[in-house]
Amino acid sequence: MKKSMKRSLTAACSTGLVIGLLAACGGEEDNNGNGAEAEENNNNGNSAAENGEGGDGDISGELEIQYFVGGYGDSWWKEVIADFQEEYPDVEIIEHAGPNVNDEMRSRWVSDDPPDVVYIDGAGSSETQMVEDGQLMDLTDWLEDVETADGNMLSDSFIVDPATYDGQIYSLPLVFDTWGTWYNAAKFEEEGYDVPEDFPSYMDTMGEIQSNEDIEPFVTTGQHPYYFLRGVLTPAFGAAGGDELLADIVTGEEGVWERDEVVAQMEKVADMQEAGYIDDGFGALNHTQSQMNFLLGDNAFIPVGFWLPNEMAGDVPDDFEFGFIPSPMQDEGEPYAIVPDLRPLAVAENADNPDAAKAFVEFVFTEEYATLFSEHTGAIMNLEGVDLSENEEVPDYLIEANAMINDEEQVQIYHRPHPMSADLETPIGDALTALMLGNSSVEEFIEAAEAATADYRGE
Amino acid sequence: MVTTKKQKYLFLAFCLVPTFLLFAVFTLYPMISGLYFSFFSWSGAAANREFVGIDNYIRLFNDGIIPRTILHDYFLVVTKVLGIMVLAMYFAVAIMQLKLKEAPFYRIIFFFPNIMSVVVIGILWTFIYNPNLGLVNSALEAVGLENLTRPWLGSETWALPSLVLPSIWAGIGLFMLMLMGGIATISKSYYEAAELDGATEWQQFWKVTVPLLWPQIKVSILYIVITTLNGSFIIVQIMTGGGPNNSTHVMGSYLYQQAFEQYNFGYGATIGVMILVISLVTVLVLARLLKREKVQY
Repeated sequence: MKKSMKRSLTAACSTGLVIGLLAACGGEEDNNGNGAEAEENNNNGNSAAENGEGGDGDISGELEIQYFVGGYGDSWWKEVIADFQEEYPDVEIIEHAGPNVNDEMRSRWVSDDPPDVVYIDGAGSSETQMVEDGQLMDLTDWLEDVETADGNMLSDSFIVDPATYDGQIYSLPLVFDTWGTWYNAAKFEEEGYDVPEDFPSYMDTMGEIQSNEDIEPFVTTGQHPYYFLRGVLTPAFGAAGGDELLADIVTGEEGVWERDEVVAQMEKVADMQEAGYIDDGFGALNHTQSQMNFLLGDNAFIPVGFWLPNEMAGDVPDDFEFGFIPSPMQDEGEPYAIVPDLRPLAVAENADNPDAAKAFVEFVFTEEYATLFSEHTGAIMNLEGVDLSENEEVPDYLIEANAMINDEEQVQIYHRPHPMSADLETPIGDALTALMLGNSSVEEFIEAAEAATADYRGE
Repeated sequence: MVTTKKQKYLFLAFCLVPTFLLFAVFTLYPMISGLYFSFFSWSGAAANREFVGIDNYIRLFNDGIIPRTILHDYFLVVTKVLGIMVLAMYFAVAIMQLKLKEAPFYRIIFFFPNIMSVVVIGILWTFIYNPNLGLVNSALEAVGLENLTRPWLGSETWALPSLVLPSIWAGIGLFMLMLMGGIATISKSYYEAAELDGATEWQQFWKVTVPLLWPQIKVSILYIVITTLNGSFIIVQIMTGGGPNNSTHVMGSYLYQQAFEQYNFGYGATIGVMILVISLVTVLVLARLLKREKVQY
């Protein structure tokens, strides 16, 4: 009953989120039939093609799935895996999951005995490292032929295309997350604070909150400076220099930190620090502590991804209401900027059961599970054509954020070619912490960032 | 009872071989494989690795963070040795010499942190230092010293000194017990003789207690130095993660960051070799410096 309701909900038209991101999905052949049938047929085709011979291609045997459990929880995974099991009763599914699963499974990857499917997310996992180490299967050719259970070509159904490495695809982006800035919507309404629309209004609101509440309005985690880098600076660079600047930042292009548009963004950070808007204790806070301080009203703004409400679900005060805006670092009159942060699903190069692994990946990318994902996690799955606007199970902040993101006049979406390497992100994050603590100037920061990019380039 | 030579060797082998095997598996093998991996470029998360010769060692000498981590480690070594030895000695002498009725109670109280996991201690002290809710700032405010309150662990200047207090607090008990054991073996007659000769309690401490307690003091200092160089990683990792801006990174935490967060396992192994060499040299130098003729009265 519940399922059929969800199905009917998901049948709605696509969200505008996809506009400008991907070509619209083509009019694929009508496939209103049983999704499982379509999948099994597809798999037959695939496995026969791969083996270079005919064969029944039955999906069976052991299927090991590794997935990180963090802010999104694991309820969505449990439901999807249970449905997959029902669809493929001959498959014996072994789950490896938890907040430390990346470390726990490391010895398996090192000894070339990996699980079949891996969801790459959380501490201790890196898509770039896995691709560089040849641990992920090249899915380029396979993806060309895969149809989703909804009857669309999977390759045309993503909101954001898979990352490519020398033109090859090794992972499929499952979770469409984005960093932004959170505030307590109930408090803002009660006190009449303006929700920031650009950097000048952000500074004004922070100033007002500082004097009214006697708090430092902005907090982030200093133990993981990448929260600020990804949550505030990346969209700021997107707004200032578009995809090109983001690509140069991520690849460590020489002189990129000295460019005027970058220096201007760093000056904004220095302005926030000099005005005393950044919590002076942020340097020692881990992400949970900073989020706790935010929920307790010790601070008013925090940059985190969509997972925040789910991660802190047990600690939200009764009178608290989550409000989300893309980090307002853009100049006056400019639209907000967001940069999608994708969490991919991949098949191991040395998977023991690649057919079942591919069947699972294919099984997951449906509108049904995309809707279910938003209901379970409060985030968005990277599949177009999912309407959340009328769904009562989806949290309000997500519906509002989704609507805002879909409005091109309000929000511009920018992309980076791939995540920043830890070797580049770590030293830049350290220098950023010093700047935000007021221990270094913008010039010193830029010098340190340029030195980090030179190191990264191997100079 | 007559034992043949063969029986004697068999007995020795029975005692030594299992120990040697365990030592080889759990100490020698990791040490040698650490040295081996230091010559590779390896993410530590995959099977493939590339031999790079001494590239990691060249990188080590050019890495600006490494000297800071060594300095931080020695800062902790010096402050911990001083703090722990002075306090442990003070409490041990006080409890033993003053013949307090509550001595067993104090013994338990001081030893208590030793039975707690360092992780728990780290988390506990993180709360104590919390700028908004922590005991330290609250206590300073309560006595009117608001101007001294600060984000202890969030400050580049104060974070490292702030780690000293929990490290000392956690270490006193064990060394206090060791020193108390040593003091218990000193015959009372020495103190009586010294007293008859007109020595003050202070002189008795320096001329009788310290020389006769020297073996325990020496072992304690060496033990604190070794455990700090190898183990300060835990408290750093829990309380600050090496930040802010590398201001609390010690060699161990930097090794962890490189090997497991930046996927430079080979370079991490190189840092491990450096820690081994530095620890060995430090202990050898220290053992020489602390060498004294055995005192007998």
